[in-house]
Amino acid sequence: MGYLFSADNWEWLWTENNARYLLEGFLINLEIAAIAMVLALAFGLALALLSLSALTPVRLAAKGWVDVFRNLPLIFLILYLALSLPESIKQGWQENAPGFLPEALRGQLVLAGILGLVLYNSAVIAEIMRAGILSLDRGQREAATALGLSYRDQMRHVILPQGLRRMVPATVSQLITLNKDTTLVSIIAIQEAVRSGRILTQTAGNPFVGGGDVQAPILQVMIFVGLLFVVVNYALSRVSRRLEVREARRSAVRPGVSVGGGAGDEALRAGAT
Amino acid sequence: MFDVLTEHFDEFASGFWVTTRLVAASFVIALVLGTVVAALRVAPSRWAQRLGGLYVEVFRNLPLLVLLFISFAGLRRAGVGIGPWTAGIASLGIYTSAYVAEALRSGVSAVSRGQREAALSLGFTPLQTLREVVLPQAFRTVIPPLGSIAIAMIKNSAIVGASLLALPDLLKQARVVNSNTFQTTESFFWAAVGYMLLTLTATVVFRTLESRYAVRR
Amino acid sequence: MKTHHRRLWLSMLAVLALALGAAACGGDDEEEPAGGGTTTATDQGSAQAEEFPAGSTMAKLQERGVIRIGVKYDVPPFGFENPRSGEVEGFDVDLGKAVAEKLGVRAELVEAISDNRIPFIQDGTVDLVLSTMTINAERAEQIGFTDPYFIAKGRILVPKDSDIAGIEDLAGRRVCTALGSTYEETLKREAPDADLRLVDAYSECLELLQNGAVDAISTDDVILTGMIIQDDSLKLVGDELTTEPYGGGFKKDDTQFAEFLNGVLEEYKSDGRWQRSYDRWLGRYTGEQQSPPDQTLDEVLQASQ
Repeated sequence: MGYLFSADNWEWLWTENNARYLLEGFLINLEIAAIAMVLALAFGLALALLSLSALTPVRLAAKGWVDVFRNLPLIFLILYLALSLPESIKQGWQENAPGFLPEALRGQLVLAGILGLVLYNSAVIAEIMRAGILSLDRGQREAATALGLSYRDQMRHVILPQGLRRMVPATVSQLITLNKDTTLVSIIAIQEAVRSGRILTQTAGNPFVGGGDVQAPILQVMIFVGLLFVVVNYALSRVSRRLEVREARRSAVRPGVSVGGGAGDEALRAGAT
Repeated sequence: MFDVLTEHFDEFASGFWVTTRLVAASFVIALVLGTVVAALRVAPSRWAQRLGGLYVEVFRNLPLLVLLFISFAGLRRAGVGIGPWTAGIASLGIYTSAYVAEALRSGVSAVSRGQREAALSLGFTPLQTLREVVLPQAFRTVIPPLGSIAIAMIKNSAIVGASLLALPDLLKQARVVNSNTFQTTESFFWAAVGYMLLTLTATVVFRTLESRYAVRR
Repeated sequence: MKTHHRRLWLSMLAVLALALGAAACGGDDEEEPAGGGTTTATDQGSAQAEEFPAGSTMAKLQERGVIRIGVKYDVPPFGFENPRSGEVEGFDVDLGKAVAEKLGVRAELVEAISDNRIPFIQDGTVDLVLSTMTINAERAEQIGFTDPYFIAKGRILVPKDSDIAGIEDLAGRRVCTALGSTYEETLKREAPDADLRLVDAYSECLELLQNGAVDAISTDDVILTGMIIQDDSLKLVGDELTTEPYGGGFKKDDTQFAEFLNGVLEEYKSDGRWQRSYDRWLGRYTGEQQSPPDQTLDEVLQASQ
């Protein structure tokens, strides 16, 4: 207990720019999450629509794809991609990465990390979207057909807007999971919060590598990094809950019975669907 | 493709076995802890609810990798002689238990009020109501989400292996085989098969449980 | 917004603001850390750039203007990144810079961990790997090697109060080494009863040894020396397990490049730069002397059979 709270072990936090170093790393996590989320949403929507296609081979292929990627561990995908992505792609990114991206996101393995995150999360989101669309009352579709709307128009004006709105809370939940998952890219040496934390613990207090005098014990550093995530994710979860309540009020559905059902939500948040 | 499997079967098998043990032990812990925390959350006491709430919020929002560092490297540096297996199982178990707790809590609130009121009017104490009436029904409702949580946990177990706990799980063994054979796709393919075997088993188990204990409405 | 919610938001904002404030105040007007990332570019003014036959790797590199070199970022004193300045330095790095200088191109350093070194060469992510990589027959089937530029000896690192004195004592003890390194094989062979813990990077091994999760680390003595430099409560034990000749790695069958690299290495050894680099990174700490290796690649491969 003494070790946990001793002032000596927390001194690093206000020494030099240690805390800033960690916060900058954390910012990278958030950026990766944002980028991956946008891409996963786009790709996920495409997959969802494909998996609802009237053409059987297309539907089966899409569902198969989604099933495979939902059932593989994300770290597995990331490591595989890091070890096997062809040079042309890695090089291409290295050379053409947009300049506005921070240094940490222009490295060669960044693509492997982001691609892994997108492949996995798009499959999860596709499933969420599919459930959202299917959860719509049949009556909606039938009414739309009765009104003479074409399939495309039905989708665009009736089904998708409602179905997608249903899945917003679940998607925000997935964003929280995604946030946590961005820490996995530390394993392929991308300079985000966890990796920065590890480097800090190794170098702080070690004059040989220019780390100054104050050591940064790993317990405290990781607690700090953990707190960053807990605070931001907690905020996101409050947003999700507010959205859920609003949606429930709007569609006269009991809160807690959103896409997948109340208890099912937890499964979603566990990163399961 | 197949010779990678046959020549390195031992490595894959031992990795598969390590992952299985890790997952099984962690799930037990997750269920036990999750039930305790869920009970806290629905208990009549204010501080119990807050405590349970805090537990759930912390462990649902904390990345597993960070938890692993804290529970292994962090604790060891603080003088606690925790080993990698213990740290791995504890971390994965505690992490998953937060989700189990929330799933159970949702399940409990789904049990109709009428049930609770009937039990109380029959003279059950609140604790007895919880134990004999509410929880058993809640368990049945939550079998499907528990199944999903189990599958998520199987996937998360790979994080334990990739962390500095250095447990030789299935993913780690895939990398070992890869470094021996330089055949990345083949090595990872067979590991993927292993993971899918596990998730498939979990799916089958939970579907069976679901149909056996289906909530009759 | 309900009062209770508002307070929650405010308090969270306050926490974040405090954290950012602490970070901002805590820092000097120091330059922002480069943030690391996986590459670091160093500027090499092109000295007299030689001409190379068209179509050769050297010519292509000159055309590109940059050579990508895979080095370790966490193994002082061979390759390590100073996280504050973003500079990657070390014995391997010095040699890499010499190669770049000879070509008259910029050296771009990329981090190479043990199990991705060879894939990185094979797929062209890097042009050259100088990352404490041991020459052996198995690897020579996948990539090309230069002549050895350094001979390291395999040893064992333990805490000063450990009772392990050699490889025989490793039976039943927990030993750490890097995934994909030659020590994985060596230990499985020489100490089959040891409890092997494989990790991604030697820095993880050091953490495990320091917090007592493993009893020993086994790898090249200079990597181990780098750890002693960071933590002097450790000591080296055991006879030389193996000799580990380090070689630079590049794409297989590129004989022109091999010739070029070996030529650069020869010059490097004979004009004193090798010695200076050694003294700067190793001699200073080990107090030992060493002269540059004089075997050729073939001799080394023969010996390892």
